[in-house]
Amino acid sequence: MTARPAREGHVQADGVTIPWVETGQGTPLVHVQGVDAPRLTPAHEVLGRQYRVIAFGQPPDDATRSRPELASTMAVAITKLGADTFNLLGSSAGGAVALWLALQARERVLALVLEAPAAIRHGDAGDDLESRLEELATPTLVLFGTRDAVVTPDMGGVYKERIPSCHLVFVYDAGHSIAVDRPEAFSEVVGDFLERHEAFVISRTATVINP
Amino acid sequence: MKVSYFETARYRPPRPLAPEWPVPSGDYDRDAGADAYRGMIERIRYVEELGFDWVSVSEHHYSPRILTPAPIVSASFIAAQVKRITIALLGPIVPQSNPVRVAEELAMLDTLAEGRLVVGLLRGTTNEYLTYDLNPAEARERTDEGMELILKAWTEPQPFGWQGRHFRYRTISIWPRPLQRPHPPTYALGISRESCEFAARHRLGCGVSYAPFEVVAKATRYYREQCARHGWEPAPEQIVYRANMALAETDDEAHAFLRSQPTTAPFSMRAEVSGAFMTLDSRNVAGEARPAIRSGALPTTFIGGPDTIVEQVRRCRDEVGAGVLDLSLVPPGWGDPDLLMRSLELFGTKVLPRIRDL
Repeated sequence: MTARPAREGHVQADGVTIPWVETGQGTPLVHVQGVDAPRLTPAHEVLGRQYRVIAFGQPPDDATRSRPELASTMAVAITKLGADTFNLLGSSAGGAVALWLALQARERVLALVLEAPAAIRHGDAGDDLESRLEELATPTLVLFGTRDAVVTPDMGGVYKERIPSCHLVFVYDAGHSIAVDRPEAFSEVVGDFLERHEAFVISRTATVINP
Repeated sequence: MKVSYFETARYRPPRPLAPEWPVPSGDYDRDAGADAYRGMIERIRYVEELGFDWVSVSEHHYSPRILTPAPIVSASFIAAQVKRITIALLGPIVPQSNPVRVAEELAMLDTLAEGRLVVGLLRGTTNEYLTYDLNPAEARERTDEGMELILKAWTEPQPFGWQGRHFRYRTISIWPRPLQRPHPPTYALGISRESCEFAARHRLGCGVSYAPFEVVAKATRYYREQCARHGWEPAPEQIVYRANMALAETDDEAHAFLRSQPTTAPFSMRAEVSGAFMTLDSRNVAGEARPAIRSGALPTTFIGGPDTIVEQVRRCRDEVGAGVLDLSLVPPGWGDPDLLMRSLELFGTKVLPRIRDL
């Protein structure tokens, strides 16, 4: 099977235009990136062997839209791209939108991965995301790079504590952009989690040197 | 100045041993081994009585001189035999250990010993890599990653996974945690640029060893510069210097003793193996390249009678910045244990009280 080439475009939802890029095929893996213009990384190419990876940029945020509103707009955009149920990945600020989306469309989100999320910001977010986290039943993987200088990796424990089915993994020697700093490590743990959900804690690594 | 006694469970072979490493296990004498460990406990009790601050142990494999392949065992056994002295476990060889296991064992020992534990983490000397089949090209990276994982296992309150380059775990959540908060005083041991930088970045102490003052001072200077870059200043106690000391009643006697000691390394690897290591293992002092394997015995940097030694310790304090001296008073192995006890007594009575306030 030859890989489908990367595709890109814009989708209209709730009166805003959201840019997207896409690679691979299979069950959709929606990536809410913490940046304006979406871009594909080597990690997406690896995950694209198993998944239809759709990366969204941030919809233009005119500051009148709350994070829950952005999330419901995103749900409309995902439907328009033909994805019904999907895996969801949120990075940095995109992590908050992904969390809201997982809370709002819980039956559509198969598994949630948060890459260095900047979702819990005590006091200034203007919504009650933190108090809602305990409602989340979706299998969730939270990743922090040990060298993250944007969001301190210590925040990982806060997600782990609040989200019932959450697994926290530190990616050694990665900064805030884990998928860029350590693409193989990122793809391996994310791919394993998407495939096996919480059973990914059980090792399948063979240690036989010579049979 | 704090003072540590480096205990090596010195083994005295009843018959001469072949000078090639590894020495056949079959040449080990079981009774001499039992004597070595009895002597270890006798000396530990004695240095505690003399007022030493720490007793240190290290990890060495397949060594007929230093019978401590499992320092956690020696440290734990020692901790149970003494009451006040701090147990300095200077040397889990991190690149060939399971870091989670190290974190667990040290946390357990810190708790059992009621917070009397000090820890040094290191890469280990080249010969050790042969024992657990460690690729020297990976040793540095495995050390840095393993040390970081040990610190994380001690401090992270929530269960976590570790997606490393050399270590991967999906579930880590150690019990017990160390008694000391956030963890026992910890040193990165080594004079390399990487070791100093790691220590500075993680606010750890720095441990240097054996080389003359001016060489180890290069490393401690670099360490302090790196600490400043990370916005902190190490306390004197955060620099430990392990050294050989030849102490006698007079300078002449000390020099005569030193002249009686072997000048060659006690057990050498086959020339072809050590030659290969010279290209496969790279080492440096604060970034300046140095050979992976030294030829000859380890240098002795403190030599003399009590007055001279006190002056040398003062110089060490000034030049190296060390706040802890980790001392070996008679080279392990052939050294006469009675001579060692006399040296310890001399040090405890004539030197220790005079260097306390340096």
